[in-house]
Order: sequence, then C-alpha cells, then structure tokens
Amino acid sequence: MDAVAETYAAGVPALLVEGARKTYGTGAAARHAVRNVTLRVSPGEVHGLLGPNGAGKTTTLKMLLGLVQPSAGRFEILGMPAGPAARMRLGFLPEQPYFPPQLTAGEILRLYGRLSGLDRGGLSRRAADVLERVGLQGRASSLLSTFSRGMLQRLGIAQAVLHEPDVVILDEPASGLDPVGQRDVRNLILELRERGVAVLLSSHQLSEVEAVCDQVTILNRGSIAAEGSISDLLNVRGQMSVRVRGPEGDLPAAVLELVSDIAFAGGEWMFSVPDARVREAVDALDEAGWELISLNPKRESLEDYFASLLGETPAEEDAA
Amino acid sequence: MIGRVLAIAGAVVADARRRKVVWVVALFAVVMAAAIPSLPSYGVGVVEAVYREVALAVSYVAVMVLTLALAANRIPAEVERRTLYAVLGRTVRRWEYVMGTWLGIVATLGAVTTAFTLVVVSIGWLAYGVPMWVLAQGAFAVWLESAVLAAFCVAISAVAGPVVVSTAALAFLFIAHTREALLEPGTLAYAVYPSLDAFNIIAPVAHGTGVGIGYAAAMLAAFVGWAGALLLAGNVMFLRKDL
Repeated sequence: MDAVAETYAAGVPALLVEGARKTYGTGAAARHAVRNVTLRVSPGEVHGLLGPNGAGKTTTLKMLLGLVQPSAGRFEILGMPAGPAARMRLGFLPEQPYFPPQLTAGEILRLYGRLSGLDRGGLSRRAADVLERVGLQGRASSLLSTFSRGMLQRLGIAQAVLHEPDVVILDEPASGLDPVGQRDVRNLILELRERGVAVLLSSHQLSEVEAVCDQVTILNRGSIAAEGSISDLLNVRGQMSVRVRGPEGDLPAAVLELVSDIAFAGGEWMFSVPDARVREAVDALDEAGWELISLNPKRESLEDYFASLLGETPAEEDAA
Repeated sequence: MIGRVLAIAGAVVADARRRKVVWVVALFAVVMAAAIPSLPSYGVGVVEAVYREVALAVSYVAVMVLTLALAANRIPAEVERRTLYAVLGRTVRRWEYVMGTWLGIVATLGAVTTAFTLVVVSIGWLAYGVPMWVLAQGAFAVWLESAVLAAFCVAISAVAGPVVVSTAALAFLFIAHTREALLEPGTLAYAVYPSLDAFNIIAPVAHGTGVGIGYAAAMLAAFVGWAGALLLAGNVMFLRKDL
C-alpha cells in the first residue's frame, strides 16, 4: 500500500481547508476576502466550489496553493500541510491559463513534467497520452501561437493531469470550450473520479457542476452560503414531481385540486404534488385513464437555487 | 531542487531564443561594422585601441539594454498572465522560481555576450589583421555586470512593474558608476558606497594588456556579493507577495 492509499485508508481527506480567512488591510480599512471557509474533499469525490464574482473562490484556492498568504486557517493536501512537498500529488488548472506563444505544446508539457519530477523517458510517453486524452493528439510540436482559446484550455487541463495527481483543482475548466470540449472535460472529471482522484472544481457553469459534482460549497461575499450534496440542496422537501400523459384536454378535476406548478410540453403534463397527497393524485389519474410517466422527488434547478440563495444572503462587507 | 531551477532557467532561455534575441546580435554586428570607417585615423596601434574601446562601449550598452528587456518584465508579466500559478502550484518553491528565472536570463546574456565578442574580434581581425582576444576579458566583465543588473531587476520586479524596474535599474547603474567622481578614495563613504566600478576594465583591455587572474577573481567576488545580496532581497520580497 503506497503512502497515498494509507492516507486515504486512515480517513484523511484529500483536501482540507479549515477556518480559512483572508483580510486585506487593517482597522477600518480592512476588507475581508474570505471569512471562516471550511472545505473537505474526500478521495474520489468531485466537489464544486460555486459563487458569484468576488465571492472568494479564487482567493480560497490561492491560499490552498500557497499563492496568497492566509490571514488564518488550516490547509492540508493528503493529510500534509499544503506546502510545496504536499503539492507533488496535486494538479492545478488556473482560470484562463496562458502559455508563452513562442513555445510548442510539447515544450510546455516537458517543462511542467520536469517541474513535477517526471523523468524524461516517462515524460514523453505521458505527454503523448494526456495530449490524446484532451483531444490534442499530434499537436505536440505545434506552436502555441497557432492554438485557439479552447485548445489552450485543453492544454491547461493536460498539464494539470500530466503527472497523474491524486488531487486535482480545476478553476473554470470549461471556460472557452465549445459544447464538445465541455462534454470532454465533464467526461475527464468523471474519469478522474472513477480512478479515485479528488477533484475540486470552481466554476460558474452551474450545469457542469450539477452534472459532475457530488458535493458543493457555495460562497458569497467571502463566506459559505450553503454546502452539501447536490440532492440535499436541490430537492424540495415534501414535494414530488410528476409527469403524465393522457387524453386531450385539461388534467382531471380531481387532480387539479391537488397539484401546483403545472406545465404542459410535448404532449406531457408536469406538476408538483405534496408527498402526503401523492397516492390520492395517482389514484385519480388512474381512474381517469391517464398514464404515469415518472414520479420523482421535486428538484430545483441549480440556477434557481443559486439565484434564490444569493438573494437571501444578507449584504455585509464586500469580499474580493 | 536543482532540476526544477534548471527547468525554469531552460524555459527562460527557450523563450528568449524564440523571441529572436539573435537579431540583437545581428544588429550589433552591423553597428560594429559600420563603426569601423568612422573611427579617426590614428597611428598604428592607437587605432586598434580605439576600436577596442568602442567595441567594449557598444557591447556594454547593447548587453545592458538586453538585460533590461529580458529581466524588467519577466516576473510581472508572468504574474499578470498567471503563467506563474501553474508553476508555483506544483512543488516549486518561490526561491527556486526566482533563481531559475535569473539563471535563465544570465545564461541568455552569456550566450549573447559571447556572440558579441566573436563579432568584435572577427571584425577587428578583418579590419586590422590582429586577433584581439583580450576583448574576451572585457566581455566577461560586461557579462558579470549584466548578471548583477539582472539580479537587481529580478529583485525589484518582485514588488514593482516594468516601468519602475527599468527606471530603478538605470538609476542603479548611474549611481554605481559615480563613486570615483563623487568621493575621495580612503574615506568611509567611499568604502561603503555601492559601486560596480570593479567591472569597468575598459582601460586595461583597450589600452593595455588586460587584467590578471587576481583581478578576475576580485571581479568574481564582487559579482557573487552583489548578485547574492540582491537575489536574497528579491527572494524575501517575493516570498511575502500575494500573487
């Protein structure tokens, strides 16, 4: 069992941020960019870090990576204090990564591979593998000045996973990518999760977060506004979502008096019904000869949840 | 540790190479070739000395300008473009990044200074029929001083932008070459004044037979002291910087 496996077996989180705080300035001029933020990311978990611009996401990531000096807090990677040694097993994709346009993709990967301690022999093979994995096969010798924004983003992802890290931090990984590229990134994240890699994903793309994240932490004005599993956050307690198909005309009168949020599209009716009245509604549909297509716990979209949450958060001091 | 420093240095050299630094050498050769006919017609022996003096002066200006071009904006640009994040997000320590960057710049300057030397020796040989290898001593001194200037730029650029760095670097060069004009030798002020005059060997190279091993060792000691102090200060400042 290697050191990382032993760490995991001991129940140590892959990433731990505890009581993180960052304050710029002092006294009356003090500005709190991050206040008492705590995050735990387990092995094989994809954890979303959400928040509007200026919420403190990037500052939190920078403190974890040693790019910004924290005012307070504990930062650990695989059970070790988050210093250069602990970052050996970490991969990081910065937001909108930039690479010198005079260099080639192969040169960039060789540089980052050497900085990650890969030997020359393993590096060539690994560089070819990751370039293929991100859809840049055959472009190792291409100058980056010829790369599109999306290709640079793919190269950024390639450098982040080049050394097969156990923990990956991705800051807006789908930024600048077309729909196919976004799907590829989503698949890559799921593949990393399957391999037991812990992924911390900071993103504005809520659909992406909803599709891949097990847990999310939502920041607003430097503080945690909400955290938990996607299901816990989005499921509407005490309500079920129902889809039915039936004869032309309106829903049966016996059903109409039980339900709310009614919508009709593509020949199907959708509505919400309280948990306690589901049986009653289903019986009424059955008696009227309607077909029940699906019956699920009612779930808000992440967009709606996010918007309502940020609307509720009391305005305090602005964060960076 | 050394591997990471050398990897960063290699990237700086590769970047400079791709930026066509070689054109600076070509331009320098043209300037030197063009300067030959414009030199005054002194007697035999004197004209070669004048040529050596001009060659060293032009080399000095060219290398210092190139130093500013390579070093003044290196770190600020990497911070602004966030290329630094993917580097420091790895196992790389900040001092390794600073040292690697400086070493890369110094290596590039070394290659360019060597090329300048070959140009001036070749042109001098063709024009006067004498291989003036003593110019290599002057080039060595110019290179050491450019390495000190690069250390100054790297140190200041840890906390300031390229305009401030370039202005400060020019002021540093000016101040560091005015000790003889301002102070009397033997005084305390003279002893503690920050001076780069140790690297000024134009007179013995242009008009004499060059400097000895002892003086070369003294230049090396001055270089180590200056570069060491400046890089240490730069590392301390960069260590505290929020990126």
